[in-house]
Amino acid sequence: MPKMITEQNLRALIDLLVKEGSRVVGPKAAGTMTLYEPLAAGEELVLTELPRRSAKEAFFPLCETILTYAKGEEGVQVNDIDPARFPETVLVAVRPCDAAAPGILDAVFSWDYDDQFYQERRKKTAIIGLACTKADDACFCTAVGLSPAETQGSDLFLTPLSGGGFRVEAVTEKGEKLLARYSQLFGEAGSAQPLPPAEPGGEKLELARIKAWLDANFESPLWQEIADRCAGCGACAFLCPACHCFDINDEGTEAKGARRKSWDACGFAKFTNHASGHNPRDAQNKRYRNRLMHKFKYYDDKFGKHLCTGCGRCVRACPVGIDIKAVLDEINSK
Amino acid sequence: MTNTAQKLDTIPLVDSGYWSSVTEAIRTEAERLLSSGEVTAVIGYRAGRRSGTALPAIATSPEQARELVFSPGCVNNLALYLTKAKKDVAKKGKVAIVAKGCDLKALAGLMGESQLKREELVIIGVACAGVYGASADRSLPLSEETIARKCRECTVHAPEGVDLTAGSVPALPQLSPEEAEELARLEAMTPRERWAFWTEHFSRCVRCMACRQVCPFCYCEQCYCDRNRPQGVETSPRPAGNTAWHIVRGMHLAGRCAGCAECERACPMDIPLNLLNRKMAQELKELYGHEAGIAPKEKGPLAEYREDDDQSFIK
Repeated sequence: MPKMITEQNLRALIDLLVKEGSRVVGPKAAGTMTLYEPLAAGEELVLTELPRRSAKEAFFPLCETILTYAKGEEGVQVNDIDPARFPETVLVAVRPCDAAAPGILDAVFSWDYDDQFYQERRKKTAIIGLACTKADDACFCTAVGLSPAETQGSDLFLTPLSGGGFRVEAVTEKGEKLLARYSQLFGEAGSAQPLPPAEPGGEKLELARIKAWLDANFESPLWQEIADRCAGCGACAFLCPACHCFDINDEGTEAKGARRKSWDACGFAKFTNHASGHNPRDAQNKRYRNRLMHKFKYYDDKFGKHLCTGCGRCVRACPVGIDIKAVLDEINSK
Repeated sequence: MTNTAQKLDTIPLVDSGYWSSVTEAIRTEAERLLSSGEVTAVIGYRAGRRSGTALPAIATSPEQARELVFSPGCVNNLALYLTKAKKDVAKKGKVAIVAKGCDLKALAGLMGESQLKREELVIIGVACAGVYGASADRSLPLSEETIARKCRECTVHAPEGVDLTAGSVPALPQLSPEEAEELARLEAMTPRERWAFWTEHFSRCVRCMACRQVCPFCYCEQCYCDRNRPQGVETSPRPAGNTAWHIVRGMHLAGRCAGCAECERACPMDIPLNLLNRKMAQELKELYGHEAGIAPKEKGPLAEYREDDDQSFIK
């Protein structure tokens, strides 16, 4: 029999997990926005809004210290960060466009270098996905092969029911375990009907066709056309669930400091600036081209996946109205 | 809130004929300028894919000129495209630009700083009724509810010193000055409360630099805050560096900021940056009687020394 959970019990589950010492991260009110943030109690969970930033930061934080150093009498002491200390985490009420992202990013974080920071967090995180029942005009998950009811990437998946509460589906073993462990909070779904899924607009994209065009158009006037408008900020990359570039900086004083890893963005003028002063992507057209190429060609060439889940965050956030869906539509029609 | 109150908020501030008449005037002039060869590009706006949105557009042919629009979605300050930061556009030759009153102030500032020459520019001024706020529901018309906060206190609806004015300013109601009220609320706080206010906002900063990248006055080719040999300001998105960045930004714009509030609009983390800009502007006015205006001024008060400058802070 399919299971269900009431909203009250979902919040109770969060309370219980927090009490047991897990880190629970979910959509939470943050000023004028909703953000995925650690929840102190179930009542903090916001179920009605797509968080402004994606859930990737649960695995790949905006900024993290990867080592610290201090100069003492016996020379310089370097302290590594031990990923084994990362807490068990439950990511709750994650939208399908966010839940799908870690499955895409696993490939790059375990490719030629095993990123222990990412992998340890990934191993210790369970994802409770939540189907979307409303979309806005920036949403386009269906155009890139996902859907508002997509369970891929979730361990446990919740679908809102018309009479309140959620239908619960265990997608992975991790999900089964959660379901079994907290069985007292779940009931039988009975005959309650799920609410109809959201219907994001926009034409479906033929990603193979887009890739074929990208294969042949490293040089195209399109890149300059977009670059003429692009302001060169990192809003698109920083809100994106799939962008994963980072920079490493040593910060502090001669006496002590830290090596920190922080998000970076290919739109920044200095993103590929070499120590010599040479910059292979010395103009915005080359930088925007890289953004598109990386998402829909290079990553596909390397890992057979594309770096876009159609969440629409870059479309909403771009201060100069660059709309990746419109760009893809244009390429699709070429 | 009663139904009547809700309705008052959502009553369109202007009728739709206003937008189409401004649009038509821009198109006609842009088409003329491009056909005659007077300019090689017109920087304006065109409609976006999503309803109610518009985006910066660079028209280089009479056909493209026919696609230009003016709508409440025309939020950008296009002066950005005339700065050193956007060298590609200037390369196109002599250009014309569509400018709202707030954008004109930025153009004047850039001229004062020798970044632009008036004679090299054709300015199509817009008789502006206001544009959408960053969080406005764009399926609704421009109303008291959807209008940008900066537009509630606009003093430059009618552009001055332009080559042509598109449209005429409609009768507009007096709107409550939300931003001034917010600034007054902040000033009434204790320093500790104010610090808490900004600490919370800066804690959310992701250092995407959208505030810098959309600012017409952030045209430095080498931003001090990007330096890493040696590092001037911590670039990692952490409280110390975030706070330092926003203070540096506010200080560097003091007396220069034209008040277009693009930094605040562009911020994906909703940090009310224009409050900092306004506070700095207020200080400069009180200390030096200086205001960024429509007339280009060669030097701002922070770029020159005068014998009678206030020196009481030197102890």
